[in-house]
Amino acid sequence: MKTFLKAALVTTALLTTVGVATAAETVVWWDFLGGGDGVRMKKLIADFNAENAGSIEIQGTTLDWGVPFYTKVQTSAAVGEGPDVMTYHASRIPLAVSQGTLAELSADDWAAMGLGPDSFAKETFEAVNVDGKQYAVPFDTHPIVLYYNKDKLAEAGLIGADGLPAGLDGKDNFLAALQKLKDGGTQYGLAMTTADGGFAFRTIYSYLCQQNGVIGTDGGWLEGDNLDKLANAVQVVADWVKAGVTPEYTDYPSAVALFTSGEAANMINGVWEVPTMADLEAQGKLFNWGAIELPVLFDRPCTYADSHAFAIPNNAGKTPTPEKHAAVLKVIRWMSEHSLFWATAGHVPANATVQASDEYKAMQPQATYAKLTANQVFDPKSVNAGVASPLFDAAGNAFTAAMNNEVDAKTAVDEMKAALDAL
Amino acid sequence: MTKNSRSEYLVAAVLVAPFVLIFGWMFIYPTLQMLQLSFTKSPLIGAGTWVGFDNYIKMFNDRTFWTAIWNTSYFVLLTVVPGTAAAMIIALMVSRLNGWVQSIILAAFFLPYILPVTVVYLIWDWMLNLQFGIAQFIIEPLAGKRVNVWRTVPWFMPMAALLTIWWTNGFSILLFLAGLRNIPRELYEAAALDGASRWQVFRSITWPLIWPVTVLCLTIQLILQLKIFDQVYLFAQGGRTQATMVLVQFIYEQAFQKNSGGYAATIAVALFVIVVGFSLLQFQVLRARGGNK
Repeated sequence: MKTFLKAALVTTALLTTVGVATAAETVVWWDFLGGGDGVRMKKLIADFNAENAGSIEIQGTTLDWGVPFYTKVQTSAAVGEGPDVMTYHASRIPLAVSQGTLAELSADDWAAMGLGPDSFAKETFEAVNVDGKQYAVPFDTHPIVLYYNKDKLAEAGLIGADGLPAGLDGKDNFLAALQKLKDGGTQYGLAMTTADGGFAFRTIYSYLCQQNGVIGTDGGWLEGDNLDKLANAVQVVADWVKAGVTPEYTDYPSAVALFTSGEAANMINGVWEVPTMADLEAQGKLFNWGAIELPVLFDRPCTYADSHAFAIPNNAGKTPTPEKHAAVLKVIRWMSEHSLFWATAGHVPANATVQASDEYKAMQPQATYAKLTANQVFDPKSVNAGVASPLFDAAGNAFTAAMNNEVDAKTAVDEMKAALDAL
Repeated sequence: MTKNSRSEYLVAAVLVAPFVLIFGWMFIYPTLQMLQLSFTKSPLIGAGTWVGFDNYIKMFNDRTFWTAIWNTSYFVLLTVVPGTAAAMIIALMVSRLNGWVQSIILAAFFLPYILPVTVVYLIWDWMLNLQFGIAQFIIEPLAGKRVNVWRTVPWFMPMAALLTIWWTNGFSILLFLAGLRNIPRELYEAAALDGASRWQVFRSITWPLIWPVTVLCLTIQLILQLKIFDQVYLFAQGGRTQATMVLVQFIYEQAFQKNSGGYAATIAVALFVIVVGFSLLQFQVLRARGGNK
């Protein structure tokens, strides 16, 4: 007992000394990553802290995703109590800039991080710009993709010579393929979140973009033929539901469950579900699966994407010391350079060098869908757009009923335009 | 004598001062601030510009505001009286039990009350899940098909009311039980000697004597349910929030999602007036009825 006590005391003393020694520069870090990607982010933070022991220490806190996170950031930055660095959705940057929440990144900052416009895909870099100024460093791009059950698709003759799904392009063709899968004995051709129009916005917005349509921005929402194009996009999903190839009023966890249990042959969802599939596969509980860029149903390939980026809050009345600022930039740089591990969470690394690396190219199915970053579309640049924004909310109200054929697509998009115009 | 009462006033003032100060600082001052905010066009954080009654005019012409008023009233109608009645019936039944059986049954009724709303949400969300929910075995024969109740407007409020009663009823049951235990045994014994029927006993003894508790329960429930937010917010997320909007949710939406602090304050003032008005009205009505007994 005595020895144990002694050992405990010695350990405590040691830990305390180490603790004091490492407290050189602390970087307070906030993120909203609670799921499978949160686990991976914690590992990255731990790795960074181990590598930089004695000079920089990240003190990470994970907060609630969505409106709660952004409200907290906005209020705490306004009273100078924000973190030193935080994760931010690129789509939310216009609102944050209008509220004065974010600090601008200077040319020196970019140089210190060894990053610049050429380090990212064009749209991804553009997404962190407001009026030609940069407010965040893109860490990843997270688009939606089509997950597929390779066994079921092969049975229906929908796998091409290259081993990837084939014959899915074109609106009618795609519906026919889903019907074929259903006729072949699978309960549903495709699962998606039909109970949540806000979530389904990502899918419908992709189909709007595939027709070269745009949502618009403040003061000019859905002008001209964009309204009809949006109605076409909504109708695509409504037709799937009407034909019974997609289950109606299905929420997020159910859509995932229908796909992973093999009751739905395909699923449209974010790349962040890749770890779910990978984990099930590792346990031997999943069929052969893959994920690809959304099939082209209209005129050109286009897929919705957003970006997790790192931003520095503009803490009112507090200017970080040069040492602190340098530490923050070093953290961002390190994370960007180590984003290969982040790709295991499904996200496409924003850093082009990482994306072009052989290690990433060997990663499946990530490398297969990563090419969609050439055809990606981000949210419209508006203070009312972005994840968990009024635009998502308007989509929830308009699309939820229309996707499930409770109101027709035209009425729904008219109502959506009215809601957006009223903002 | 005068001197004496003056010093008493002083002592009284000193004793209530901490409360008055804290109440003024933490409650009255923010309320006045909110009132002032409602006359401005301002974001959630930061100063705004004075716009007079513009926010109020906007509110009275806002379709969503009237939807929220209707939904909140409907929810109150579905929960306050039915919930209190259910609590009384359950309390009457539980009070007939004895010993550990009573404790176990009472605990079972009280258990949901200690659950946080997030847990309540997850339990009911899974029970009512369209594909995998156990409650669909009841809904399917009733409605003819499976129904996603949180996305079907006519189902939404009744279901939210049902789960709210399930969730919050434990407290009312406890109040009723306490009320029932305060009724002297002799009254029942006398009634039994006089050969009163069960209904007569309830009508003439139990009901009048637990009326004060009933008034208390109704008032607490009314104020609580007018402020309905969590359940509706959680279940409506991503869906048809405009159709199922309630007042507090509307305040939240305007303030935190749409960044209009001024307009949100206006709706908050409206809710404040409604809550005060309803409480006074209900208190008066119930007191008048109680006084006749």
